[in-house]
Amino acid sequence: MNLIEFQHVSKSFKENTVLRDLNFEIPEGKLTVLIGPSGCGKTTTLKMINRLIRPTEGKILIDGNDIETVDKVELRRSMGYVIQQGGLFPHMTVRQNIEIIEKLEDIPEEDRAARTSELMDMVGLHDTDFLDRYPRELSGGQQQRIGVARAFATNPDIILFDEPFSALDPITRGSLQDQLLEIQEKEAKTMVFVTHDMDEAIKIADEICIMHDGRIVQFDTPEQILRHPSDDFVVDFIGPNRIWSNPEYLKVRDFMLPDPVVCHKQMPVTGCIRLIRTKHVDSVFVVDEEQKFLGIVDRRSFTSDHRSFWTAADVMMEPDFTVNVDDSIMSLLEKASSFEQTRPIPVLDDNGTLCGIMTSSVLISLLSRQYLSSEDSMAEGGLA
Amino acid sequence: MSAFGQYIATHGDQILQLTLEHIEMTAIAVGISILVGVPIGILISYVKGLNKPVLGIANVVQAIPSMALLGLFIPLFGIGKLPAIVMVIIFSLLPIIKNTYTGISSVDPLSVESGRAIGLNRWQILWKVRLPMALPVIMAGIRISAVTAVGTMTMAAYVGAGGLGYLIFAGIRTVNNIQILAGAIPSALLALLVDLLIGTIERLVTPVSLQKDFAKTTPKSRKHRKVRDIVGLVISILLIIAIVIGSTVGNAAPGGKQITFGAKDFTEEDVLMNVYSDYIEEKTDIHVRRKPDLGGSEVAYEALKQGSIDAYPEFTGTLYGSIYKHGGTPQNRQQIHEIITKDAAKDGLTLLNETPCNDTYTLSVRKDTAEKYHLRTIEDLAKVSGNMRLGSTIEFLNRQDAMLSVQKKYPELHFKKTVAIDNSPRYTALMNNEVDVIDAFSTEGLLLKYPITVLQDTRHAFPAYYVVPCFSAATLKKYPELAKVCNELSPHLTESAVMKMNYQVDVEGKDPEAVAHAFLVENHLIKA
Repeated sequence: MNLIEFQHVSKSFKENTVLRDLNFEIPEGKLTVLIGPSGCGKTTTLKMINRLIRPTEGKILIDGNDIETVDKVELRRSMGYVIQQGGLFPHMTVRQNIEIIEKLEDIPEEDRAARTSELMDMVGLHDTDFLDRYPRELSGGQQQRIGVARAFATNPDIILFDEPFSALDPITRGSLQDQLLEIQEKEAKTMVFVTHDMDEAIKIADEICIMHDGRIVQFDTPEQILRHPSDDFVVDFIGPNRIWSNPEYLKVRDFMLPDPVVCHKQMPVTGCIRLIRTKHVDSVFVVDEEQKFLGIVDRRSFTSDHRSFWTAADVMMEPDFTVNVDDSIMSLLEKASSFEQTRPIPVLDDNGTLCGIMTSSVLISLLSRQYLSSEDSMAEGGLA
Repeated sequence: MSAFGQYIATHGDQILQLTLEHIEMTAIAVGISILVGVPIGILISYVKGLNKPVLGIANVVQAIPSMALLGLFIPLFGIGKLPAIVMVIIFSLLPIIKNTYTGISSVDPLSVESGRAIGLNRWQILWKVRLPMALPVIMAGIRISAVTAVGTMTMAAYVGAGGLGYLIFAGIRTVNNIQILAGAIPSALLALLVDLLIGTIERLVTPVSLQKDFAKTTPKSRKHRKVRDIVGLVISILLIIAIVIGSTVGNAAPGGKQITFGAKDFTEEDVLMNVYSDYIEEKTDIHVRRKPDLGGSEVAYEALKQGSIDAYPEFTGTLYGSIYKHGGTPQNRQQIHEIITKDAAKDGLTLLNETPCNDTYTLSVRKDTAEKYHLRTIEDLAKVSGNMRLGSTIEFLNRQDAMLSVQKKYPELHFKKTVAIDNSPRYTALMNNEVDVIDAFSTEGLLLKYPITVLQDTRHAFPAYYVVPCFSAATLKKYPELAKVCNELSPHLTESAVMKMNYQVDVEGKDPEAVAHAFLVENHLIKA
């Protein structure tokens, strides 16, 4: 319903080409982040959506309509726009700032006041004292919240953000990002958000559009970008340690040892002992014909009163816990934290098939990777 | 201090009147320059390429000296309040236009972008974003203009517009420091008041959050101050409107006949103007408006020709040599009279009967100088002129019938140095030995005060300068009684009578009006 499409959009300022033949769609109801190094064209792209900048070539459509055919003032009033410090007018009170467009549209005072009240709650400012203050009396974070409130005043479907949180301290920034996510959950607007902060992008985005030199390099979900960067530029841009800040994207699948030593449940105990000795392992994993995991055979299984005719199935032990191949490392660590022993952990898929194992040594080398530098640590970790 | 107090006490009315005049003219001028300047400033911020030429012109005009501008205006606007107001408007425009342009163009671009992005159209951005945010700078320009305007308006006296400048110029002319202060101090106080007033307007008009002291205020204190400001402002504006209306009403002809009698900017002219005016008012039912202090013969003649005044006292020699630019110094009075009458008619003017008073240019020296060098005539002076410094009026140096004529008739005369000083200050310079020779007028009062020797003009460099009332022909046609009345009076104005009146003003410090009135009463020309 409010899909934004860029068709063959290019932009040059004098001889300087800033955007080259952009073709992409911004999905509705989602928060799309435009990110890239300085000069990549992300802000220019954003400002084309509300016609602050006109393309040199190409078209931009919203809901199938070329935005050039719509009155630009109407267009802008149908969108929200948030910049650093909220872009508030210093000579107007907070209330006047929020209500300015509504007032121009002759919406009566009580209706405006009611809406303003809603908006203040939405952005987490519950003190009505704020309304009669001037922007300069507020902190940066408060001003930014008011800016967001103002953007929502006319209940637009599309909201544009131009690096709104860049100038804030990390704590306030985090708080505002959280607030934004809350708002997005409730309102599900189409949001286009420009930033240069990758952490921010990963935290809030549904989709990330990485730009470089006026072109789109990768347009994907945060998880996909972290786990499958499309080229070296993206790899460099993300940085080798980014993923460690987002451990929920570290999947067991990417780090497990894929070929555990297995034995069929019918294998006699002596066979198990031989396996342990010859393969130089501590444990053997017992599976059925379909590779479904049944149990572990290790030192604990061998007591002096075992019978030679016993099979693996007779002596196998239950593991302390297992993990799913698609679990994140975080959930693995959580589970492991309740147990003292660091035995190898079976990794199963949804059908119960044994896919691999995790050992404490794998975990240690994995976790130490973020501190020991290595250029292709991501590739090494099997994340490609 | 007490002499000053005395002056204020006796002249309080006059000072008040002049102050009101000053306020009126300044208010009109500043008001118009704001109404014109701010829109121009806005215009040039929006129309590409206009700013350079407009600001360029304003800059150039600003550099022209105010006196020069005034002089240029007389043929266009005559004399009186109009040229003065126009001049002050022009000088006030530059700061206002420039500050408006600067203020609007340098509004924070982020605010403007924000405004555009949330859907304000161009007009709304100007009105709701740019103008309010530019107000501090615009008001600063208006404040500077207004305060400066008060000072510049003192020039108005130069074109007979009145105002506090009148006292300042009169004081300079007669070396009366108290009079100068009586004009300068109210002027300065007025400037301070204007600053206060504009400051109040500034506070009311500028968005609260953009004001410098915002951080120290609370909503309550702001409200109190706002009330105070509005009350003060309303009172001031009502007062100003009252003054402006009051004077325009007062200036209307008192339901009857009225003429304007002018005078050049020295004592004798002032006295003669008052003598004639009082007599006319006594003998006819015509009301005479006085316009003294016109800056020089050319200014006065131009004003008469143009119609801003109906009459003024002129000198035959001045008309002959300086205004109508005839060469030589013929001694035949009748011949001169015929020639200048004909010339005057060409300009639509009529000369009435001459008085017996011949106030001619002289070259005069201190008595001790005359004794030292045995000087009795200008010829004697010429021989030793290489050691002499001349301090004369500006007109003297430029007129064909004055310095230029002297140089022709006495070619051996070469002064060591020449300085231009008007009115009484040149006597001060002479007695302080800063100059040795001055162009004393033969009936000047100060000649009786100081030990000065007037040198004889044996070669007739100077023509005769008989006082003659100069009228516009149209006025005489309208009020034929004027000619009869003035011709009645003129024979009484002898050289000694005029010189005595000059003495009373310049040396005894009396008012020209009072002196003129006393003369008429003593000679039984009017009733007491």
